[in-house]
Amino acid sequence: MVKYIKLLGVFIRASLLTELEYRANFIAQIFLGLLWAVVVWVSVLIFFAHTTTLGGWEYAQVLIVVGMFSLINGLIECMLAPNVKRLIEMVRLGTLDFVLLKPVSSQFMTTLRYTRFNGIGDFSAGVLTIIYAFGQMTYRPSLEAIVQFACVFLMACLTVYSIWVFIATASFWLVKVNNLTELFRSIYDTGRFPITTFQGGVRFFLTYVMPIAFITTFPAQAFLGKLDAATTLTSVAIAAITFIASNRFWNFAIRNYSSASS
Amino acid sequence: MLKKYPTLLRASWALMLEFRGEIVMWMMSSAIAFVMLLVWLSVAEANNGVVNGFASGDFITYFLISWAMRNLTAVWASWEMDAGIREGRLSPMLLRPMHPVHWDISQNIAEKALRACLVVPVVAVVTLFVPGVRIDWSISTVLAFGLSLVGAWFILFWSDYLTGLFAFWTSQVEAIILTWFGIRLILSGMIAPLAMFPASVQTALYWLPFRYTNSFSVEILTGRISGGELWAGFAIQAAWGLFFFVVSRIVWKIALRNYSAVGA
Repeated sequence: MVKYIKLLGVFIRASLLTELEYRANFIAQIFLGLLWAVVVWVSVLIFFAHTTTLGGWEYAQVLIVVGMFSLINGLIECMLAPNVKRLIEMVRLGTLDFVLLKPVSSQFMTTLRYTRFNGIGDFSAGVLTIIYAFGQMTYRPSLEAIVQFACVFLMACLTVYSIWVFIATASFWLVKVNNLTELFRSIYDTGRFPITTFQGGVRFFLTYVMPIAFITTFPAQAFLGKLDAATTLTSVAIAAITFIASNRFWNFAIRNYSSASS
Repeated sequence: MLKKYPTLLRASWALMLEFRGEIVMWMMSSAIAFVMLLVWLSVAEANNGVVNGFASGDFITYFLISWAMRNLTAVWASWEMDAGIREGRLSPMLLRPMHPVHWDISQNIAEKALRACLVVPVVAVVTLFVPGVRIDWSISTVLAFGLSLVGAWFILFWSDYLTGLFAFWTSQVEAIILTWFGIRLILSGMIAPLAMFPASVQTALYWLPFRYTNSFSVEILTGRISGGELWAGFAIQAAWGLFFFVVSRIVWKIALRNYSAVGA
């Protein structure tokens, strides 16, 4: 475990050193991230010109969800999307074999190897949005709320990671998994709104089938000190189940993988 | 030149058929309209069914046509230009006895035909089976809608082509394309009916190009615009289309004069 955390540190440092070679791109990515955060913010703000609450959430509270949405989107674009893109290439060219020979978990090595600056602007915008939202409220999170948030947020990250492992693994069978990442992004777009905004079947789907609610709404709710213990425990369960299932799926794929180079 | 188009279109159609999977994927990225629709429906429900004069059926109709418009006017010539200059693919195109833009136009038309195969059935099914959807199907309205669709495409294509031309000077064209798209997404009516914006913003949008790339056509087909307003709208649309066309022609000429190709 310690070895993996150290390795992750080395991976991130090495990738960032490479990225810093492209300064114009770095600035463009920050600009784009901030711009995109504004687009997301306006798409939520427009509703508040005609209503005072969205799914029972007030404006400042919704901003916490918006912030979580941008923040996690930034993490996806920085850490997960570049690796899935590269994995597709490796399967196509047969260079995945070199990764499989290394004495570390192949899933770890392929899904977390490269970090890009693509989402750095979204990430920063997300953090800024959350700070701004708390500035608009008199509420201050208690220590208990912060601990609960940390737990649910960690579980959200784990869930997102596992979903992306599923998408990445599909590339062993489908050469064009772009369709799947695009599908995920379309569904993830709902995450900028509190889950209670959606009704019936859509809400059920976004909570239990594709657990977007556990990624943006529930961490925000924990921060606001309004998340019950049952949902907190469910978030742990969902993260654990998706993580174990995605790992099984990965191992199954690797066992059945006959390389393009052999 | 027009004589070349049948051949160009045939080749483009064959090319686009190869990309049918990708086209479905690109269409998926317009699903945000559906998400916004769900939220508006939930807001309408919480406010006795009507928001700013829009009932649930009006929202469904609006986003249905807006989504169709977005798909029938999608442009990407700028991405091709960026890649073409970076990879040196533009140079052989310049040697051909026709302007490279004709290839972009014919590909775009072929891709529109392919997208229409998905858009038209969706519009038909929703109009027939979802209660509350109201579209004005009178011949004059449909003709006006068709004209506005072509006008919208014209503005979008030439403004997109113009952003692509920045590739002659910078390697960060992607950022310019996405910035233009982000602004367009909000201001053209793709994420919310423009009637929901504050009055001052609406006044500004009356004169800016964005409304005429999406919302204007939706307003026509839902019967929210007529008479003098309609003609004024067409005039502004035509003016912006002409503006982007002329500017991109001029910039193209300047760009070519300074161009030294990759691989030369």
